[in-house]
Amino acid sequence: MADLFYKSFIKANRWQMYLQGLGITMWVTVLAAALGIALGTLACLFNMQRTKDGRRTIGSMIAYVYIDVIRGTPTMIQLLIMWNVIMASSRNKIFVAVMAFGINSGAYVAEILRGGIQSVDPGQMEAGRSLGMTRWETMISVVLPQAFKNCFPSLLNEFITLLKETSIASAVGLRDLTHAADLVSASTYEIFMPLLIAALMYYIVIKVLSILFNKLERRLRESDIR
Amino acid sequence: MTSANTQQDTPLLRVRGLKKDFDENHVLRGIDYDIYKGQKIVLVGPSGCGKSTFLRCLDMLETPTAGEVWLGDTMVNDPKTDINKIRQRMGMVFQHFNLFNNLTIMGNITLAPVKLKIMTKEEAQEKALQLLRRVKLEDKADAYPHQLSGGQQQRIAICRSLEMNPDVMLFDEPTSALDPEMVGEVLDVMTELAEQGMTMVCVTHEMAFAKKVANRVIFIDEGVIKEDAPPDEFFAHPKNARLQDFLSKIL
Repeated sequence: MADLFYKSFIKANRWQMYLQGLGITMWVTVLAAALGIALGTLACLFNMQRTKDGRRTIGSMIAYVYIDVIRGTPTMIQLLIMWNVIMASSRNKIFVAVMAFGINSGAYVAEILRGGIQSVDPGQMEAGRSLGMTRWETMISVVLPQAFKNCFPSLLNEFITLLKETSIASAVGLRDLTHAADLVSASTYEIFMPLLIAALMYYIVIKVLSILFNKLERRLRESDIR
Repeated sequence: MTSANTQQDTPLLRVRGLKKDFDENHVLRGIDYDIYKGQKIVLVGPSGCGKSTFLRCLDMLETPTAGEVWLGDTMVNDPKTDINKIRQRMGMVFQHFNLFNNLTIMGNITLAPVKLKIMTKEEAQEKALQLLRRVKLEDKADAYPHQLSGGQQQRIAICRSLEMNPDVMLFDEPTSALDPEMVGEVLDVMTELAEQGMTMVCVTHEMAFAKKVANRVIFIDEGVIKEDAPPDEFFAHPKNARLQDFLSKIL
């Protein structure tokens, strides 16, 4: 066991491969999460848009289809389509992965945010409108900040889900943490220990993030005891 | 009172044939009314009679099904009218205060005038402090709404509306959600506002307030105005049978 660990982690500075892989994993996750928040906010606002007689606008229909299709198909397929078809001309794997996971995450963020917006008292919007602010102005200054705060735990959870999900990008050759395990096994002819090491690294990062997020949530909650 | 000599002016608010349906439910069945500058109108009636709906139709928080609402020479419910400009001239105070939970008291009061570029941030803050002094809450400028009592929140909500320099203030049961010991502090602010000449339309169950402040008290029942009289007459000699019944239950 110790021998296996030595061979898979210490020997020939192989630990560097894991760390580099973890770096890529974190980069892709952070960038995809940022894209997901932006896309998700936009998709959510469009998705909730209605005409005066209560019908969906064109933008609303597009947002609905986006959210529905993304949530209704496997991430792996979305990634493969992005890699092989939509961005077949780009060989920048990080960029392709960020796009695929960002677009994927956006659909989930849109739904999380919708829940957040719906949990804000409608009186907040009414008060803003009664002062002469537009729906949009009130949304930005009053409703969205409260909505983000309400669904903050779910958004952090989405970040962790995203971090784990990026591991499937190793299938298209992204040199992330999972891919690092593959590479090591190719030179040691042993797969279990590298996978175990990669899993442990994912687990530690996620554990640390969870603890940080919990602290953050608690601080947020303490700031509005009612 | 002032109502006698303001009667000759054109009304500030003019309501004609106002109807509002919620699906099959005909809440307002045709209301005509004129409100003149400086008048204080109090609306009473059983719950569900449409008095809040009437108030909310005045600044289009509810869209009237039929009829017209005029503020000065602008038709409020004309689709071509910029409703946001109208609402800047009409303050609304809600039963549940609806202070912005994510903003401080100062942020609550100054958000709209600064966002809408009516005042600079400094002007808005200076005026906000004056208003806060008037309601004796200047030390709460940096507090958040959830740190204040209901009565304090409602006084802040009144400040938030007054910050916009409205032509008329609408009050939708401003004391109904308050603990009894906090009703007085809010009514005091409203009374003071009335004495300073603000045009006010109030939906309230506070009959003592109506007697003291109102120029006219209106009884709405079954979606129409059943009685409209000065407070003395309204409470002492109600003509409408439903109003007599209503008053006997609440007084």
